Amino acid sequence: MPDTRIDLPQGTLDLLILRTLALEPQHGWAISERIHQVSSKTLFVQQGSLYPALHRLERRGWIKARWGASENNRRAKFYELTRLGHQQLEREASAWRKLAAAVAQILGTT
Amino acid sequence: MLNDLLLRLRSLFHRKVVEAEIDDELRFHFEKQVSKFIESGMQPEEARRLARLEFGGMEQVKEEHRDARGVSFFETLLQDVRYGLRILGRTPVITSVAILSLALGIGANTAIFSMMDAVMLRLLRVRNPQELVQVRIRSFKSGTEAGGYFTNPLWEQLRDRQDVFSNAFAWSEHRFDLAQGGIVQYANGLWVSGGVFETLGLRPVAGRLLLAADDQRGCAGAAVISYAFWQDRYGGAESVIGSNLSLDGHAFPIIGVAPRSFYGLMVGTKFDVAIPICAARLFGKDSRLDGRSTWWLEIMGRLNPDTAPQQLKARLEVLSQQIFAAALPLDWEKTEQQEFLQRVLVGVPAPTGPSSLRQRMERPLYVLMAVVGLVLLIACANIASLMLARGTAREKEMATRRALGASRARLIRQLLTECILLSLAGALLGILFARWGNEALLRYISTGRQTVFFDLSLNMRVLLFTAAVAVLTGILFGVLPAFRSTRVSLTSAMKGSRAVESDTRLRFRPGMWMVGSQIALSLVLMVSAGLFLRSLVKLATLDIGFDRNSVLLANVNLKVAKVAPERRLEVYDEVEARLQKLPGVISVGRSWRTPVTGYEWNEYVSVDSPGAPKGDDSLVYFNYASPGYFVTLHSPLLAGRDFQASDTKTAPRVAVVNETVAQKFFPGTNPVGKTFQVGDPSREHGPTFQVVGLVKDSKYESLREATFPQTFFPISQMPGNDDFEYFEIRTARRPESAIAAVQQTVAQINKGISLEFATLAKQVDDSLVQERLLATLSVFFGGLALLLVMIGLFGALSYLVAQRQPEFGIRMALGAMPASILRLVLWEVATVLLVGVAAGLCLALATVRVLESLLFGMSARDTVTLITATLVLAVAAFAAGYLPARRAMRIDPMDALRYE
Repeated sequence: MPDTRIDLPQGTLDLLILRTLALEPQHGWAISERIHQVSSKTLFVQQGSLYPALHRLERRGWIKARWGASENNRRAKFYELTRLGHQQLEREASAWRKLAAAVAQILGTT
Repeated sequence: MLNDLLLRLRSLFHRKVVEAEIDDELRFHFEKQVSKFIESGMQPEEARRLARLEFGGMEQVKEEHRDARGVSFFETLLQDVRYGLRILGRTPVITSVAILSLALGIGANTAIFSMMDAVMLRLLRVRNPQELVQVRIRSFKSGTEAGGYFTNPLWEQLRDRQDVFSNAFAWSEHRFDLAQGGIVQYANGLWVSGGVFETLGLRPVAGRLLLAADDQRGCAGAAVISYAFWQDRYGGAESVIGSNLSLDGHAFPIIGVAPRSFYGLMVGTKFDVAIPICAARLFGKDSRLDGRSTWWLEIMGRLNPDTAPQQLKARLEVLSQQIFAAALPLDWEKTEQQEFLQRVLVGVPAPTGPSSLRQRMERPLYVLMAVVGLVLLIACANIASLMLARGTAREKEMATRRALGASRARLIRQLLTECILLSLAGALLGILFARWGNEALLRYISTGRQTVFFDLSLNMRVLLFTAAVAVLTGILFGVLPAFRSTRVSLTSAMKGSRAVESDTRLRFRPGMWMVGSQIALSLVLMVSAGLFLRSLVKLATLDIGFDRNSVLLANVNLKVAKVAPERRLEVYDEVEARLQKLPGVISVGRSWRTPVTGYEWNEYVSVDSPGAPKGDDSLVYFNYASPGYFVTLHSPLLAGRDFQASDTKTAPRVAVVNETVAQKFFPGTNPVGKTFQVGDPSREHGPTFQVVGLVKDSKYESLREATFPQTFFPISQMPGNDDFEYFEIRTARRPESAIAAVQQTVAQINKGISLEFATLAKQVDDSLVQERLLATLSVFFGGLALLLVMIGLFGALSYLVAQRQPEFGIRMALGAMPASILRLVLWEVATVLLVGVAAGLCLALATVRVLESLLFGMSARDTVTLITATLVLAVAAFAAGYLPARRAMRIDPMDALRYE
């Protein structure tokens, strides 16, 4: 295992999932792969957190799921963003940017 | 939110599908991961191993996943229920003891509540019962109720003139004799006006019901029978329509059967047959139809839905003026007529129907409800102790589950589920007990005269009550043990030892607290049981002025035999003469009424002396009696003479008075030879009577009365002899054994004579039915409470002894005598008893006052009762404590210490 992995801060997983799904509907494995790649292999989502998070988001109505066929024609569950999910993504993304900027600023001043 | 709910419901009802989907999804993920590793050049074996490592435990993922999905309240509940059933099944004895005591407690509550429901809450089974109004009369001048009874002329006026109600009807209860002579066979009858069934909105099961056209003056008579009567007597045969039914010797054609759910209008009785009011003429009771002072009908009306209460009042007032003027009793005094004309009608909502029983039963039922509530509380405390003890036994289980990560809330929830399971099982069994209990109760309160009937079929209200009681009970006895037994120290529990001293204090105290409160509550129950019992004993051993034993009462009725009035006396005399000669008959008396039946005949009496009682103080209660009456009842004559054969209609009017009359009207002198007049002295004087004898005081209406001033007239001087007389027959052996002979003898005289038998002892007993009910039930429940307390104390002490075994062992090893160990344990009993009794006495003194009106001849703070109850409780407590104490005494120090 590469040592570059870091733990996800609380609450950011939801944001990452929403962001990933904003591009196109994905199944669970693809979501975790994409996060892994896009973060230059820094972030790794454990299955143990991914699926509970997916179902939590589904219950909140931010994403919805349907069964479809995967690339190699296997039955897979695809998740996609709902209208509510788009709004939520915008809210969370802007909150995160503010937070990140603030944290960066504080770190920069010391 | 809707989304959420749908998903939750889906996971609840399609659990298998949802679980399979999760499986699919996770397996897909796993395989993708494996193939990714393989693509990157790994060996398949290695790729799988790595993927599995990364994945973590598949089951854990699923579990977290289920939590996130919100697998739900219900699923956990199902799990808990299944697990609870297994746990309860593992200790069958404890479980059955708990269920049985709960069933007794909940059953008792359900039984009493369904009585309350039947007597007070249940609506009449007719169309829209909430629209029904009972019409009553209020005296305008004093504003007081003048009663709910009407004369037929008043009813006819009301019927023909009223526009207040959409419909109205009149009715009256009456017992009809179905037999044609011989032993009577009573049916509960109703006189009804023609509109009754239409007003109530009832449809016939067979034939047709009475209509307004059936109730016209000069009618031929027709009978509608109840469903139950139809089934019991005719087996539900349709052919019964058109056949004749004999009522008091008059044939009535049966025209139809009332619906099954209609038991009549009065709670407590069930009607068998209804006939129109106009049929009174057929019985020769024209006075019932035309008498303007014959008050015998009750009236109910159905409100127009759009009539407001204010309107009802105003319109009834207008109507009152018209109808009272038209039905004025012409023979009344001027002042009385004035008062009559000023009476007004009022409407009282009567959705549950009127009932005399309701008034009598209301207070006793409330008291019984409180009693059974307390019993249930005591039972709850017992089961709570049981659960506590079991909690200790399950300490390891709890600790293990905590260690495996179960939250405390989760464990408490599991334990509470077990408790509610227990109490629900108790409730189910309790409903069964309640059915039996109710049947027994009904038999118990039914007297020789009146068979009490309640509609006790289960309904929503009773079921809800029972369910609520069950759940509350479960929570009540479950909460404390659940909190206690989940408060475990993981390490010490796993090690299997416990810090003895601190734990003893921790666990033992709540047990003793519970026993203390049980003692307090049961003392209240025992005090009330004692009070009711002593009241009953006082009433039953009261000097009632006559000897109730070995007296057969025979009501000899000439109604069916149709004996002409002028020949009646002759027939009665002959019956008396023949009965005298029967073997085993010691003496025979005759009277118009018999004592202690609740019947009253009173009039004003005046004497010629200054300072004689006036007004209501001069009311005297009357009866007619034969020369053998006082002898037969063993009512001693104190002065003067008994009635004689020479006291005939043409002889001077004579009377025998009791001591109270003598003291009231002739104080300080011998009443024999004095005269008095009957009737209100402000009006014309009635006839004058001469006192010829003085008889000992005796009870007249009921045993509870302060003895009434009583006067007897010779039955031979009764003006226009009535169509019935009571015969009192004193027998050498059991009075019932004379029935056959009496029946035969009377039949020889005239086969048409009707007879009804009772014993005087039973009649006196029956008058105490309410007192006996309260005494029996409160003693029963008091005993039950005592038993529960003993079990509770026994359990708590056994537990204490087991807990302190090592301590006792050390004490004995250091030289303590067994007696001092015994003292130690009994000291615990004494402490808890003292605290419990003190609290119980305070509680009892504060609450028993409400019982005062139900007691007889004693205060609710009766010292004897309080002391006796306390003593009984103390003896029971020490008896229950003795066994555990003895066990403590016999502890072998070596054994005890080895446990450590």
